[in-house]
Amino acid sequence: MQTQSSPVAGRDSLAAVAAVDLVKVYGAGDTAVRALDGVTVGFERGRFTAIMGPSGSGKSTLMHCLAGLDTATSGQVLLGGTDLTSQPDRVLTRARRERIGFVFQSFNLLPQLTAAANITLPLDLAGRKPDAEFHDRLITTLGLAGRLGHLPAELSGGQQQRVALARALVSRPEVVFADEPTGNLDSRSGAEVLGLLRDSAHDLGQTIVMVTHDPVAAAYADRVVLLADGQLAGEIHAPDVAAVTESLRNLAAGR
Amino acid sequence: MSVVLRTQLVGVAKRPSRLLLTGLAVLVASFVVYATVLAQQITERSVLNGLSGTPETVDLVVQNGEITTGDLTAIGKMPGVAEAAVRTEAYARTPAGDLIVATDPGSGPLSTVEVTEGRFPTAPGEIAVTPRTVERMGLGIGATTAAQPAEGKPVPLTVVGVLTPREDIGFLAYAPLSTVVQINGFDQLDRVDVRFDGGADAGAVRERIVAQVAGEAAPEVAGGAEVRLSEAREAAAEIDQLFIVVRVFVAVAVAAAVLIAASTFRIVFAQRMRQLALLRAVGAGRGALARALAAEGALTGLVAGVTGVLAALAVGHLIPPLLSAFGVAVSRPGFPLVQAAGTVLLAVLITIVAVLAPALSAARVAPLEALRSAATTGARQGIGVLRAITGLLLAAAAAGIAALVTINLPGPQEQDYDAETMMLAVVGSGLLAYLALIALGPVLVRPVLTIAGWPLRRSGPVGRLAVGGVGGSSRRAAAVSVVVALGVTLIAGVLVGGDSIRVLSERETVAAAPTDFEVRGPNGSTLPAGVAERAAQSADLSRVATYRWIGGAQVGTFTEAAVTDVSAKAVPRLAELDTSAGALTDVAPGRAAIAGYVAEMDGLTLGDPVTVRSNGKEVRVTIAAVLGGEAPLHSQILLDPADLTALGVAAAPTGLLADAAQSGEDGRTKGLRALRTVAAAQPDLGVNVLADQRDQITEALGVLMVIALALIGLTVLIAIVGVGSTTALSVVERVRESGLLRAVGMSRGALHGMLTTESALYGVIGAVLGLLLGVPYAWLAVSAIGLEAPLTLPGWQLAAVFGILVALTALAGVLPARRAARVSPVTALGAD
Ligand SMILES: Nc1ncnc2c1ncn2[C@@H]1O[C@H](COP(=O)(O)OP(=O)(O)OP(=O)(O)O)[C@@H](O)[C@H]1O
Ligand SMILES: [Mg+2]
Repeated sequence: MQTQSSPVAGRDSLAAVAAVDLVKVYGAGDTAVRALDGVTVGFERGRFTAIMGPSGSGKSTLMHCLAGLDTATSGQVLLGGTDLTSQPDRVLTRARRERIGFVFQSFNLLPQLTAAANITLPLDLAGRKPDAEFHDRLITTLGLAGRLGHLPAELSGGQQQRVALARALVSRPEVVFADEPTGNLDSRSGAEVLGLLRDSAHDLGQTIVMVTHDPVAAAYADRVVLLADGQLAGEIHAPDVAAVTESLRNLAAGR
Repeated sequence: MSVVLRTQLVGVAKRPSRLLLTGLAVLVASFVVYATVLAQQITERSVLNGLSGTPETVDLVVQNGEITTGDLTAIGKMPGVAEAAVRTEAYARTPAGDLIVATDPGSGPLSTVEVTEGRFPTAPGEIAVTPRTVERMGLGIGATTAAQPAEGKPVPLTVVGVLTPREDIGFLAYAPLSTVVQINGFDQLDRVDVRFDGGADAGAVRERIVAQVAGEAAPEVAGGAEVRLSEAREAAAEIDQLFIVVRVFVAVAVAAAVLIAASTFRIVFAQRMRQLALLRAVGAGRGALARALAAEGALTGLVAGVTGVLAALAVGHLIPPLLSAFGVAVSRPGFPLVQAAGTVLLAVLITIVAVLAPALSAARVAPLEALRSAATTGARQGIGVLRAITGLLLAAAAAGIAALVTINLPGPQEQDYDAETMMLAVVGSGLLAYLALIALGPVLVRPVLTIAGWPLRRSGPVGRLAVGGVGGSSRRAAAVSVVVALGVTLIAGVLVGGDSIRVLSERETVAAAPTDFEVRGPNGSTLPAGVAERAAQSADLSRVATYRWIGGAQVGTFTEAAVTDVSAKAVPRLAELDTSAGALTDVAPGRAAIAGYVAEMDGLTLGDPVTVRSNGKEVRVTIAAVLGGEAPLHSQILLDPADLTALGVAAAPTGLLADAAQSGEDGRTKGLRALRTVAAAQPDLGVNVLADQRDQITEALGVLMVIALALIGLTVLIAIVGVGSTTALSVVERVRESGLLRAVGMSRGALHGMLTTESALYGVIGAVLGLLLGVPYAWLAVSAIGLEAPLTLPGWQLAAVFGILVALTALAGVLPARRAARVSPVTALGAD
């Protein structure tokens, strides 16, 4: 199933977010690290894409640049046609607030806010009201109905992650980024969260980009993009666990 | 070194800014302590150098005993004596007012005066006066006056010169010894200063002098240097007393530093909970952990103490040269090593005290904490049962003592009232209440925040997040706010107390000195005819009013009462007298104003009738006004003139009140001269410059307030430093939270605004708690001091204190907030 075809072109009209010849260098001189070395990749609208690769291959860095959390050294990041790379912090902040959602591996929630307040945080910051019907549906789907008044400390890890997911989805952003969202969860909670991610892509048309190490998690995605040493190393469409495991092994062997 | 301690110390070395921040309050405290030591040294040295009244050329001083003119002449002629200068004085009554006439050699090394005009008096009856005496008493060169001795004829005096003495009291003249003796009417000298010849045998001369003055009441003969030293000591003793007060406030400041250090350590340890839990999980014992944390505290104290002492030394040695550039000569302080070591030791000790409780509670961390996500630590709510009980017990004790004080508050004019014990009880109760506040703080933060944060919460998401951030970590909020509260409590106390005392003294000055001048004769006598008319015609006087005043009357059951009929319309300042009911202008025939304590004694209120008796006659009047304190002119009741006449009092006035026509010292001098002229024919008429008394009271009060506020400023400074460092720390420690907020789309400005608002909220909570504590206690203290001072609320001043403190705490948060807002979200999220 593995194809070595060229990646989706950056300006493809289907891409919700895309990187064009993206380079990110940390440090300078002898200690400089090229975390991203000319990556060109697009993520289609309404689809669930996983990014995989060995540790240190630049997955998190790519995601941070795509999400406007970090600035690239050169190249372009296109979010729905707008170039994020040359934008000032004000514009990036706005984009994060209104067009992008996040789920992190850990420390997703503000400890002093209740689950409900955490969910509506980005909308609050933007001064918007959530779409009540969608909000309620999301809460029910995520099984958080009885937990909204609780502080994060009073929730299990899986519940916290579902709250974070609700926060990322509730504003219906153009893209939701998730960096190892199941890294801290047991397999059952992990499966729940992954199922929810897939469903929101398929049922709600939500674009989702997820970084993961886990072939089982990647198998939930529509497509897997492989990274190695800061460069694109192939992709898998409609992946299954076996195919993903196989390509990862090939990547490791090829180094 | 244990591995645990090493881990902690490596952590400290990695983040020196953290060490600095936790130690900042202690640093400032040690700076203040050591600076006080140095300030005292500077002051004492400067005083010893300059403030002794004895010239350095004096070799021997003969004083405190019987010395006659004969002794003086004999000493002056002794071999070995170059000069003997007599210092004695007479108190002279002159038509121009009272005058002190003193002696001085006039020139030469033993003189303490400098002639600026004319010459020094040499012939009997000649005097030289000081510049202020020229102004005040109208005694220019060539003027003549006469001094009335206790017995015998007046001594005529002629002014031949003007001179400046060490201290110009305003009624001071110098004359030859014979004139002074003549005014005194007896041959008794206060003191003789002796200067030796170059080659004299000091011991022999001294023996000869001792022999000369020997007798029943032989005076002391002491060396000049010795006398100078003891005079300086006396001056320095006042400074010592001042520094005792300063030290009390420094102690309060140090206590504040302990509180702050404790709260900073608590924050640092709470944020390090995961790391500590990890150490516990891999097998570190509780004791080892607590010891390591305490050692870290001690290290912090050592660094902070040494830095504080060095900073104080630098400032202390920099100030004298700086001042001398402005023409003010002060001595440099020394290098008091013992005190320096003591200050550093103190810094280490208070830091250990501060770190103990946080270290013990941090060491109790469950190893499980390490496995929890960071989101679950650091935001513990509420307080434990033990702490709650302790806090409630403290609050109950404070309330109990306060209730006892309230029950035992003095009644009107109460005798044998023990104000000191009561004040101690008030202070004790206040201290307990403050300790209760510390214990119960986290619980109290919420309600205050609910009210104070209401407008913020409506203002938008940033305000809401700030309120949530403060309320979500009520322990941290309480720790910071309690320190602010201490400062606000003290300031509010001083302001409220000061305002009460101001109203009290204003009441007393208005009651006693409603105008600039007063003229009256000996008790009971009336003013000679024409005095009032002539005064009213003078261009230098205005608002001339006459009044009648009688003593020995009875008002209700109050005996030995004084009654007056001074008109509130003629003397406008009387309107400033505070009344508890009615107004002074309501006084009319049949209607009177009564002193508050007289009304209270008889249970009288507005509209009640009261009987005034004098010399067998009586009038019944209705109470039209109840005063806060006395009635005007130290009387108990103010009647309409018609009622006073009905009591059988003659129509002639007993006194006269007048204001100077022009303001300022100049106008006052002119008015005084005009009144002296008017009253000149009657030597027994006294002219009092009430305005001078008023000024003195106001000035003394102002100085007291400034000193008190400056001292309290120390505590407030430390409180602000505390808020600054706690805010900085909590921002540094919460960098991940900031990162998350930035990641989900909070702008840099909004994050900055939120963090600044949070620290301003600490100020609001602290200021509210401080006012709630400070104002009632100040009222209690004012009531307990037994001066019958009114309870006032200086609203604007308190509002200003509130505003300034909130602004300062907000300012303390600005820098750290800016730093936090600049950090990129990725870095922040990656931070541990
Ligand atoms: N702040 C930084 N400074 C310097 N180098 C960095 C920084 N962040 C990442 N790197 C380097 O960039 C490279 C890519 O890092 P990145 O975090 O993107 O890897 P990753 O694929 O997410 O790895 P993992 O699967 O372990 O999370 C690594 O070599 C890393 O050492
Ligand atoms: Mg990563």
